[in-house]
Amino acid sequence: MSSVIEQIEQQIANLQTKTVATNTAKTLTVGDGVAKIDGLSEVMYNEMIEFPGGTIGIALNLEEDEVGAVVLGESNHLKEGDEVKCTGTLLSVPVGKGMLGRVVDALGRPVDGKGAIETTESYPVEKIAPGIIERKSVDQPLMTGIQAIDSMIPIGRGQRELIIGDRGTGKTTIAIDTIINQANINKVGLASGDPDFRPVYSIYVAVGQKNSNVARTLGVLEEKGALEYTIVVSAPAADSAANQYLAPYTGAALGEWFMANGQDALIVYDDLSKHAAAYRQMSLILKRPSGREAYPGDVFYLHSRLLERSARVNEDNGNGSLTALPIIETLAGDLSAYIPTNVISITDGQIFLETDLFNQGIRPAVSVGLSVSRVGSAAQIKATKQVAGKIKLELAQFRELAAFAQFGSDLDAKTRAQLDRGARIVELFKQPAFNPIAIEQQVGVLWAMQNNYFDDIDVSKMVSASDSLRDFLVSRKEALLTSIREKAKIDDDLSSQLKTAVDEWKNSFA
Amino acid sequence: MKQDKQIKKFAKQLLQVSLEGREVSAERVDGVLKSLANNPPRHHIATLKAYLKLVAREVAKGTAVISYAGELSSDMVAGIVNQLSAKYGRAITSVLREDPSLIAGLRVVVDCDVYDASIASSLASLEASLS
Repeated sequence: MSSVIEQIEQQIANLQTKTVATNTAKTLTVGDGVAKIDGLSEVMYNEMIEFPGGTIGIALNLEEDEVGAVVLGESNHLKEGDEVKCTGTLLSVPVGKGMLGRVVDALGRPVDGKGAIETTESYPVEKIAPGIIERKSVDQPLMTGIQAIDSMIPIGRGQRELIIGDRGTGKTTIAIDTIINQANINKVGLASGDPDFRPVYSIYVAVGQKNSNVARTLGVLEEKGALEYTIVVSAPAADSAANQYLAPYTGAALGEWFMANGQDALIVYDDLSKHAAAYRQMSLILKRPSGREAYPGDVFYLHSRLLERSARVNEDNGNGSLTALPIIETLAGDLSAYIPTNVISITDGQIFLETDLFNQGIRPAVSVGLSVSRVGSAAQIKATKQVAGKIKLELAQFRELAAFAQFGSDLDAKTRAQLDRGARIVELFKQPAFNPIAIEQQVGVLWAMQNNYFDDIDVSKMVSASDSLRDFLVSRKEALLTSIREKAKIDDDLSSQLKTAVDEWKNSFA
Repeated sequence: MKQDKQIKKFAKQLLQVSLEGREVSAERVDGVLKSLANNPPRHHIATLKAYLKLVAREVAKGTAVISYAGELSSDMVAGIVNQLSAKYGRAITSVLREDPSLIAGLRVVVDCDVYDASIASSLASLEASLS
């Protein structure tokens, strides 16, 4: 008790001689979450400013004799003439491992009702991305657990891979699957006690989404045991445009902390179309000049400075990484719209999801022709390369041939064989939502495909056949799967073991 | 929008004419006002309002509003004015205001800058740090 009294006495002693210097001004106008302020001569760009009642704003427009600021949170109590103070600090959010398993708002404050977050560090929301010298090329894989992606459009740690498609094509599902897969890998890796194992922590940033959608995503992550390795940043549709604008940068700050501390992190921005729309709203209210589709001129920079923060840094800088999976929603599959083309040009590849494929029941509805990974193949493990090297080409040829085959029934044997194989690959890549597949199981199934074990199985039974083979490998050949995972390549020994195992399965599969 | 810019620009020109060195000259302001009255510009009232705003801001830069509670000696006021004049590199005049809500101490406002050494603000920050 005496220490508390001493503490208060100390505070009073400090206060008795202290003169507090602040830079203040008066509010001119407040409306739509934006305040115009007369004065604030010493305010910095992006500085936090304090309104009455502890409300925080960010100074975004520094004009000759006025400051335009966005108000974060409730602005109904603000009025003309209110005193505004500079805080002298740029906007920063709490970071650290204490944030894992929590749901926070755009300012890093908990919104999940689980109490205060125990963390001591904070990190600036806006930060210049790592430079050339600090970086290293992508050379470690990041498994999504989705066969079609891991085999054909591989993603590496530190890569920015765009997920793009119309509404309801499974964009979020791919991102959530990837987060679940990281949690599954983390559990296995941490349990193995391998000192070289590097877990991947995930950050899911929900921008402008319905609260019910965020709740559903949270439910899935919790059910699959992935929430403990994940931080959710939520700026739902009901939040102000300022909060929606800030949320991705908050997520980037959370992820960058892991990277700066030599760890790996994955960040999902769901989605940047809504982020751009929120920024447009804010810019129009701030009376910034508008350009194409009424977006402000710096909408490219809005996303480029965000996505450039995802990187793989070299050993001298901790060897950490931040992988980004931004999501963009297109309208009627139009990839050439303003925001999609911007983000396509910034990222290191894209996974394009097609409505037609989705409606045909091909899920995930990945369009092989339009999807690409520009840097990920360097990070793909050798085992996957060995078994899936030609699959993308075969599948692309199949799609092309299938279109022509509709016009005639008289096909030569070679074309028919290509069509048969393509149809089987399509079936093989079908995968239910929230059910990522471990890479060693993917290798096993693709090895069987490559070695024609599925050729005599009816196309309609392909999904059950691949499920059955995976179940067989998991339940009966665990040692083989462990060997594939550890060696990460198929040598002669593994090849013969795989042959024995798949032969055994084939005999049992009716 | 364009009109606003023109008015602001004209008001700034009027302010430049009203300055003597870095300070607003009462004589020059009087001259400007007379000239405007004799030759009223378009948007006369709006121009005058914009001019008033600029002059008020300029005057505020050279004025220290000293709010106090309790005793305040003239030596102390002179000391404050001297220190502020040195800090801002211009002549600062003082305006004294008694403000019992400060409980004790001083609060000096020069344009946007507030120097608060009052008990009221100390108690407020103590309250904030304890909550």
